[in-house]
Amino acid sequence: MTTGVAYSAEVTAAMWRRSLLEIRRVRGGMLPTILAPLIFLLGNSGQFGRLGSLAGFPTDSYMAWLLPLACLQGAGFAGGAAGANLARDIEQGLFDRLRTSPAPRPLLLAGPVVASMTRSVIPATAILAVGLAFGTGLSGGVLGLLALYVAALGTCMAAAMWGCLLALRYRTQQVGPLIQNGVFLAVFLSTAYTPQPLLQGWLGTFAPYNPFTYVLELGRQATVSGVEPSWAHTWPGLVAIAGMVAVLGALALRALGRIGN
Amino acid sequence: MSAVALERRPAVQARVIVALAQRALAVQLRRAQFLIPALVLPLVLLAVIASGTSAGRNLPGFPTSGSYIGFVIGGALLQGALLAGMTAGTAMAGDIEGGFFDRLLAAPVHRASIVLGRVVASLVVGAAQACLFLAVGLIFGADYAGGVLGVTAAVVLTAMVAGAAAGATGALALRTGSVELLRNFFPMVFVLLFTAPAFFPRQLLSPAMHAVTRFNPLTYVVEGIRAVLHDDRALGSPAAGFACAAGLLTGATALAVLAMRARTRGA
Repeated sequence: MTTGVAYSAEVTAAMWRRSLLEIRRVRGGMLPTILAPLIFLLGNSGQFGRLGSLAGFPTDSYMAWLLPLACLQGAGFAGGAAGANLARDIEQGLFDRLRTSPAPRPLLLAGPVVASMTRSVIPATAILAVGLAFGTGLSGGVLGLLALYVAALGTCMAAAMWGCLLALRYRTQQVGPLIQNGVFLAVFLSTAYTPQPLLQGWLGTFAPYNPFTYVLELGRQATVSGVEPSWAHTWPGLVAIAGMVAVLGALALRALGRIGN
Repeated sequence: MSAVALERRPAVQARVIVALAQRALAVQLRRAQFLIPALVLPLVLLAVIASGTSAGRNLPGFPTSGSYIGFVIGGALLQGALLAGMTAGTAMAGDIEGGFFDRLLAAPVHRASIVLGRVVASLVVGAAQACLFLAVGLIFGADYAGGVLGVTAAVVLTAMVAGAAAGATGALALRTGSVELLRNFFPMVFVLLFTAPAFFPRQLLSPAMHAVTRFNPLTYVVEGIRAVLHDDRALGSPAAGFACAAGLLTGATALAVLAMRARTRGA
């Protein structure tokens, strides 16, 4: 008989493999997670590109400023899909069958969350490749690139927890747009368009309280020359990710515990 | 009176158009999921862009007339109009999938009236939405030097774009009958929006985007909206805006009518 840890790993891996099957089964399913952030990246770069010439902007290239945001958006949408898929499984009754299995309940969420993190590498990389093809440089080198992928995976994990929370709470596929709009809003209500010193009005007050502001700073070490790779630009993002995952994960587990009671 | 005679009486068909428009409006009001994207998303984006990019005012060459939110609200009006039109097309595809459309075809109703009913409903939604957005803008500091006349002209322009979008998406719905396809078309709204100077002056866009905007009719509509709202012809040409909006509305409605003919021929 396998030990507790080995059994948990086995169940998580099985759930992970099942969730990854979505990539093959739903051909083109990843496309919206790539397309929407790309449209925003290219569209916003075209519209607001001149903002990069303002005094106090940490890079001359506005696309370099927006590119990490688009990568995080794509990863976040991939994470949100974990919630949408869970809602589908709940509606179709598959989740009830999984709940009756001897697998510990938290593992039923761990598998899809880890799978969505694996999937999120696809949109993050595709969007990064397009940004690089449009002339954005990797000013942060390997360390910066590593920071960007950590930020993308963290965003995906938080978005997946958020999606699972809503799916378990409402138990209907109609919750899909709410999951994605939540991700969209959370990412944009930050230093998405301009750095903190240039933010004016209510967003200037709100952005410092949004954890995504710090996750973005973590990711921007890859492409923004004025945000060079350093521990000072890294730890706030890591704390923000840990905080979001802890809070949303705890809420999702609470909602999971309430199912069937 | 025969069904054919009924179909040829303009007064009867006018009543049919009004009735179908009323039904479309009632369905949209009843189902919040149809209204929320067209109402909430543009307002949220307006709030984020108005605050997040307002430092752009300090760029040399940025127009000085009106407040920043008053400048970018033109983009929000366009976005709302496009989304309203898109929901109309999705609702039409839903009618086709759900079988209501077949029942309409069996009634003594002129085929064009079915399309016009949907377009008229979108004109009303677009106008109501524009009034709401402009009021929200006013509360948050926008000023409209163009006065009542300017605001009315902006509302009419927005409504025409919503009608045009309903015609175009209606044509797609009639050709495909697929709600799924219409939903997948959603990103096109942002492509159309971003390839026009929706939120920033044309002269301050990136060179590549500047070149593209010339070919997007919505460029002239949004510049027309700004010109009438701020009573400043340097921001755009109202005549060009109205000409483009009218062209889009007529063209898209004609496309939808043609798609309707093709669909009923195939039936």
